[in-house]
Amino acid sequence: MFSAIGSGVGVHGDFQGLDGPHLAGDPCLVLTTDPKPRLRWTAELHERFVDAVTQLGGPDKATPKTIMRTMAVKGLTLYHLKSHLQKYRLGKQSCKDLPDNSKDASCLAESQDTDSSASSSSKIAQDLNDGYHVTEALRVQMEVQRRLHDQLEVQRRLQLRIEAQGKYLQSILEKACKVLNDQAAATAGLEAAREELSELAIKASNDSNGLVPVDALKVPSISELAVSLENKNPSNLPARFGDCSIDSCLTSNGSLVSPMGVASQAAAMKKRPRPLFGNGDSVPLEWMITNSG
Amino acid sequence: MKVPFTTQTHQSPNAKVRTTSFNEPKSVLDLVRCSSPSPAVNKPTPKSEVSALSESLFQSDDGSLHSEDQILNNLEDWDSLMRELGLHDDSARIPQFNHLDSQLLPEFPPSHSVVPTDFSLSSDQFHNHNFNSVALCNDFHHMNNDDFHFVDDLIRAADCFESNELQLAGVILERLNHQLPSPTGKALQRAAFYFKEALLSLLTGSTRSTRSSEVVQAIKAYKNFANVSPIIMFSTFTANQAILEAVDGSMLIHVVDFDIGFGGQWASFMREVADRAESRRVNSPSLRITAVVPEEYGIESRLIRDNLNQFACDLKIGFEIEFVLVQTFEFLSFKAIRFINGEKTAVLLSPSIFQRIGAGFLNDLRQISPHVVVLVDAEGMNDSGTPSFRRSVIDGLEFYSTVMESLEAASVGGGDDWIRRIEIFLLRPKIFAAVEAARRRAPSWREAFAAAGLRAVVLSQFADFQAECLLSEVQVRGFDVAKRQAEMVLCWQQRALVATSAWRC
Repeated sequence: MFSAIGSGVGVHGDFQGLDGPHLAGDPCLVLTTDPKPRLRWTAELHERFVDAVTQLGGPDKATPKTIMRTMAVKGLTLYHLKSHLQKYRLGKQSCKDLPDNSKDASCLAESQDTDSSASSSSKIAQDLNDGYHVTEALRVQMEVQRRLHDQLEVQRRLQLRIEAQGKYLQSILEKACKVLNDQAAATAGLEAAREELSELAIKASNDSNGLVPVDALKVPSISELAVSLENKNPSNLPARFGDCSIDSCLTSNGSLVSPMGVASQAAAMKKRPRPLFGNGDSVPLEWMITNSG
Repeated sequence: MKVPFTTQTHQSPNAKVRTTSFNEPKSVLDLVRCSSPSPAVNKPTPKSEVSALSESLFQSDDGSLHSEDQILNNLEDWDSLMRELGLHDDSARIPQFNHLDSQLLPEFPPSHSVVPTDFSLSSDQFHNHNFNSVALCNDFHHMNNDDFHFVDDLIRAADCFESNELQLAGVILERLNHQLPSPTGKALQRAAFYFKEALLSLLTGSTRSTRSSEVVQAIKAYKNFANVSPIIMFSTFTANQAILEAVDGSMLIHVVDFDIGFGGQWASFMREVADRAESRRVNSPSLRITAVVPEEYGIESRLIRDNLNQFACDLKIGFEIEFVLVQTFEFLSFKAIRFINGEKTAVLLSPSIFQRIGAGFLNDLRQISPHVVVLVDAEGMNDSGTPSFRRSVIDGLEFYSTVMESLEAASVGGGDDWIRRIEIFLLRPKIFAAVEAARRRAPSWREAFAAAGLRAVVLSQFADFQAECLLSEVQVRGFDVAKRQAEMVLCWQQRALVATSAWRC
């Protein structure tokens, strides 16, 4: 049924489909009898229309103005033609997908037109009108369906996108925590080394004349560290470091997060001992630091 | 909304002493670097409050969430810190300042009826700062009279910066320290606190660079933020959709991202690209990202690279990411970035890059012929013109308190700890950056875009549906999406939070 309609005939959407009285004369316009006179696109009129359009090179090339001139029908306005042309074009579009049916339909239409008695032409017009209504309704329904389908598609895609982002954030969080823990573990190792060195320094200063009371300066805090290390709880180490009010490499800003990793921390460590080990024993100790770092 | 750039100046390891001397106006203009006069190793040195905050909050980090008590304890430390800074310790302050301080203070009574004669207000549309604070406060109808004070003082401090009366600014900010000792209270109060901090940091030039513990906290906060608020997802997915539509069908996609945050956006982008290729039964295109990042983004960059590489590998699409420093881009513009023939290029911008390096580089956009330029404005950039510093502070205050309110609405009672974290790790850096940019009178991106001849592209129906769908998923009421010309704007109670738009050269 729809293929017949799809043969490219369109009509004004508000068409009543009444069998109103024909006005005499040909070519003439048939107007409906309802309060607002509307144009009835009879088969004849439509055929003229199709001829004109074909003459002008097809529905896409033809314009309402040119069709009007070509058709040369009295009383036909641009307004009528605009809407009829639009319907025709749309009909042509949907018709493209049904090539076989349209051929049958156009044959049907042609054969019907050649009979060309008043009753048959009005009957065809009637059928066509009904068909046009259905086309309209169908089109609207398709719009709604398409919209719903799109919205569902969007929802589905959104879910996938949210999932992807969530998965990524989870994984980057885990990796960041791992990096942090690795660094803490590395610093733990360094702190152990540092502890050893400070003990050596104490020994060294005790051996020497004890110019700098190194033990008074640093030992309490380092023993704190030693305690924490013995507790073997690496994740708590940063807390410990924070509690110590020494300006070790861990509370300062740059050194812990250097991209070069442990090597730079060792390098940073190198600077640290100077205030501590103020006497002449610093050189061999630094050498020991770099080796143990 | 992405995690922003932290402020730039590098702090040397000994940087615990803040030596500001307000009685010598010239010296205040110098950014105080952390030169500690003596290796005062033993005594607890008065730290700059920025690094102090970071230390007190981040030291006890073991990668898991703090208990609420800990956060509160740390906030109580604010008091002592503020006192330290407000009062005069022996080494930093010169006694003269005392005299000056007491001289000035009586001139700022809470009723603000007296305006000191040397106080020059900026030539703004608000000539009466009383009116200004009332106008601002009327927006927040839940405020009572007591709340006016700190807003007023904040605005006054902003005025001082504008008229270069930094000494005066310091005094006002000190007063504010007492009024706003910690980020508690209502949203406006918390926002005001952070703005006060930001203004203070302008004076002291103090900053902190990110450490791994902070990055972990920031990622965690970001993840929470993305879960409870549609702000992040709206920004990233709307932008992604615009880019996808522009580059669809290409086998080589190149994105220049000026505000990569943690890279989560590209994970979902890659997923989309892979799915499309699969449904069309074609080979997946390869994605190349060039991220323009600040200098102190080392840790984040590494993490992003590793994770995006992994993600791409799992999805079996070709992927490559390069990082370019903002400083390099500033000098070389788009020549700092590698472009390959045959790629479809998309550029993703946010106001932060304009805040940092201005808008001159937009003129070079044409040369790289991007298929789309997407802008995500989550900084509350209002309309055109380069506003005065005071105006920027006021607008910023309003914007960030809106953001905080929208967060609060998602609170289900119980701990508000996670809100504080989001504020500290995500919003605070943005506030600092915004204040700094305002100080430098960074241009408005809208004007810059118009000047560069960019034309807006209307976003597709898919983007519309997506935004609607997103909002329907969000548990919190009060969000809605509006279309302003060619922009899609996410609003909270009709106040704009994020505006996304797509443009073409």
